[in-house]
Amino acid sequence: MKKADKKKTIAGKSILSFILILVAVVQIFPLIWLINFSLASSVEMFTKGLLIIPKKIQWGNYIKAYVDGHFLLYLKNSVLINVLAVVLVIFISIMAAFACKRMYWKLRGFVKIVLLLGMMIPIHATLLPNYKIYSSLDITDTLWAVLIPYVAFSLPQGMFLMTSFLDAVPEELEEAAVIDGCGIYRILFQIVTPLLKPAIATVSIMTFLNNWNEFIMASTYLSTPKWKTMPFSLLEFTGQYSSNYAVQFAVMALTAAPAILVYILLNKHITKGVAMGAIKG
Amino acid sequence: MKKLYSNKLVILSLVLPGIFVFIFAILAPISLSFYYGFTSYSGMGKAEFISLDNYIELFSDKNFHISLRNSLFLALGFIFIQHPLAIIVAVILDKLQGKAEGILRCIYFIPNVISVAVIAYLWKFIYNPDFGLLNNVLKTFGYQGQINWFSSDNAIWSVLVVLIWHGFGWGMLIYYTGIKNIDPVLYEAAAIDGANTTVTFFRITLPLMKSVIQVNVTMAIISALKQMETVYLLTNGGPGNSTQFAANYLYQQAFKAFRYGYGNAIGVVFIIICLAVTILLNKMFQEKKIA
Amino acid sequence: MKKKLIAMLMLVVMIGALLAGCGKEKGKETGSVSQGESTKKEEKTPPKDENITIKVFSNLPDRKNGQGLVEQMIIDEYMELNKNVTIEVEALDEEAYKTKFKAYAMNGMPDVVSIWGQPSFIDEVLDAGVLAELNETDYNDYKFISGSLEGFKKDGKLYGLPRNSDVMAFYYNQKIFEDNGWKVPATYEELLLLGKSIKEAGMVPVAMDGGDGWPLAILLTDLLLKVNGDCSSIVTPAVAQGNFTSGEMKKTTELLVEAAKSGLFQTGYDSQDYGTAMNLFTNGQAAMFYMGSWETSMARNQDIPEEIRNNIRAFTMPVVEGGKGKATDIAAWNGGGYAVSAHSEVKGEAIKFLNFMYQPDKLSKYGWENGVGMSAQDQTEFLSGNETELQMQFMEFLKNATSVSGTPINDCGPSIFKTVIESEIQSVSNGTKSVDEFLTNIGLACK
Repeated sequence: MKKADKKKTIAGKSILSFILILVAVVQIFPLIWLINFSLASSVEMFTKGLLIIPKKIQWGNYIKAYVDGHFLLYLKNSVLINVLAVVLVIFISIMAAFACKRMYWKLRGFVKIVLLLGMMIPIHATLLPNYKIYSSLDITDTLWAVLIPYVAFSLPQGMFLMTSFLDAVPEELEEAAVIDGCGIYRILFQIVTPLLKPAIATVSIMTFLNNWNEFIMASTYLSTPKWKTMPFSLLEFTGQYSSNYAVQFAVMALTAAPAILVYILLNKHITKGVAMGAIKG
Repeated sequence: MKKLYSNKLVILSLVLPGIFVFIFAILAPISLSFYYGFTSYSGMGKAEFISLDNYIELFSDKNFHISLRNSLFLALGFIFIQHPLAIIVAVILDKLQGKAEGILRCIYFIPNVISVAVIAYLWKFIYNPDFGLLNNVLKTFGYQGQINWFSSDNAIWSVLVVLIWHGFGWGMLIYYTGIKNIDPVLYEAAAIDGANTTVTFFRITLPLMKSVIQVNVTMAIISALKQMETVYLLTNGGPGNSTQFAANYLYQQAFKAFRYGYGNAIGVVFIIICLAVTILLNKMFQEKKIA
Repeated sequence: MKKKLIAMLMLVVMIGALLAGCGKEKGKETGSVSQGESTKKEEKTPPKDENITIKVFSNLPDRKNGQGLVEQMIIDEYMELNKNVTIEVEALDEEAYKTKFKAYAMNGMPDVVSIWGQPSFIDEVLDAGVLAELNETDYNDYKFISGSLEGFKKDGKLYGLPRNSDVMAFYYNQKIFEDNGWKVPATYEELLLLGKSIKEAGMVPVAMDGGDGWPLAILLTDLLLKVNGDCSSIVTPAVAQGNFTSGEMKKTTELLVEAAKSGLFQTGYDSQDYGTAMNLFTNGQAAMFYMGSWETSMARNQDIPEEIRNNIRAFTMPVVEGGKGKATDIAAWNGGGYAVSAHSEVKGEAIKFLNFMYQPDKLSKYGWENGVGMSAQDQTEFLSGNETELQMQFMEFLKNATSVSGTPINDCGPSIFKTVIESEIQSVSNGTKSVDEFLTNIGLACK
């Protein structure tokens, strides 16, 4: 009887493991396919098989992708814009959350709701009017044209998370600081902010994930390579190398690589951050 | 303390940056949209006031109806396909707790960190009937035909599959965390009472994850409404308008058809719909919580 | 406890450093941005030999092949001759280009832009007054083919110059045709039959860029010419009245639908873009490719396997049985070209550059030498004997033409008409909408 049970659980377990592995294959195989094809030549791609063994590994595809795709420049732009966006979002959301949550003023409830309202506004509805605004201010094709909307649309979420994390910060700490004669700014940035570390991590990750991959605003507001971000190399390439699929695959792989590498390196933290954000949200 | 904490100037300095960003990047454009929505502005030259004409036209615009229907379709697809799948995988992952658990979770999540642009182009190739991965997979399993994944009947399903694939890891991760947060004592008690896996799943796991599920469902519906980038690159609403979405449609109207005014009218209605749906969902779930 | 305190302190320091760092970086950024702007301002009033930047916005993203290469060659040459001039190019795919062009038109455009001398594009652009007027007499010696400037005029004034004479044709792979004993079809019915046998042989008969809608619309124009013997007598009144339900339009659309139904195009043609369609052909997967003369440069494109690129030939749309059009009535028009922005800060220099490009021995000559279709200027003097056979074929098409279609149907109306017809034509060809629905809908879009 017991033996049969055991057999059953083993069988059950292998079925379950099989499901997990199957899902993993579905999730990862397209990427393996991508890398595989990116190392072949265009002619070899018209195959009936799943993967191809290239006659000669075409590293040249990646060189073309790297050079003509402005890889370093776009990577630098992406990193810079995203880091600035993250820092601004954290900074602004901590200040606003603190003011609305802890300080005493009449409009605090209203202001909080207004700032959170941004969460419900679809970003894409602002594409047309924002384009008009930015071009009349002459800031299209500058850093600001993407930075401002990136911050604006990540701010509500940041604010929301900061507010809920603030709940967990004991007010006694602040009271003690007030007695010690600290000013508000010092209390906020030296006492409260360090306690919000997990929230800061979460907000950073969420903001980064939201904006790193954004491209429709970037493609609408930017035009010269000066500030273009990573996804652009792809958009430009499909035109430039329309008759060379292999290079297009290499560009895709190259564009995806930085985020994947960072994710694999920081896997644990990112997982924690996302999970925390979701549970709190 | 209270005095220090009610210093108006300090408060102002703290909230001003946030308010500035809000006014500049959200309030101003929406007001501008509202204004242009009442005009026949083409994007160049002069704007002509035409009162409600745009909205009247929008009301009977078939393509806009298709956009909303497609959003609904996506939302249902997320709720009835993606999320059940994510929950099941999360439960199994939690149950097995093998060494591979971390690696598997990592793999599931990877598509999430890839740019939508890459995803869209990659899947364009995957769906290609002549050399795409998907038809080649079918061939290795013996299927001889050549499926057109972007025929006007299939296209919206193909879009859904891409989005499910892309967002699966996120949903899974959140459910997994939800399950981890359930007190193991409950399961032990259930085991003592002789409950089998199915019973524990429906009696303990699901009910306790209710709030997590609600949050996820809300997010799914909203993201279905806001869908744009994947579709923009994958099908651009085609073939015909079979995969059209509100955000994509307003972009097309404004920048392709030279109807900036009409595009803004779509934007205004789009915003109102998003607001209404979010509020409605929150209300719905709040009432349930009380009940 | 102590550890925690230290950790906390460290964090404060870290965040402080982070914030300080960001502040610095931000400062740097604003610095560089305003610097950029100030240099721009300096350029606004350039003393004669100070540096000038001309921004060119082009619809030719591939700068290493075909027309894009030619454009780049001239730009490089111009910069070489005028050391004080820097020319910056922004290039996008046609569809993305048109979208962005409209966005630019709202507030300030680059100095030199690609344009199309067709109502769907140029009418609204000229109404808005964003293009600079050109002096037509300047171009008396530029050998423009007669009539080719017409599309770029409004009220008798000239606003742009045509780059190409476009001819639509079926490119085919001669070797594949010979190996399989296939013959260039003499009638449309033969074409469809040929399509069937190619399909049976396991190949794609015609690679079609149906995802973009405009090649299908040109096909419709091509067929209308063969059915009616002339396009504008049907299209012009139809656009004006918003009524396309004439018998000829109906018959033509049915012919198009028949082709799609019989499997003439690749599976999923209605969602595949230009690149995908072209790759099917250039990688030997498709026997034919329906596209314009601007792709004759395929014969010289090093990315295309030699065996294929040397075997590319072309034929124009064969006659339709019972139709009024002759075999030598071809779908051809003067479409793309260049113009200068009316509000350009370096307008004089931009026009100078424009004129430089159009000197007969520049765009026209280089284009011919690089196998890039045909220009809108007389090219006979550049015949050198080094032409590809494909080039000569297209030249023959144009030389022997008894009549031409003029502007393709999708470009004959306002841009909303273009948007609608290019999407509706996908629906009618794949069978989701009936021919009558299609004709009614495109008519409504004109109103």
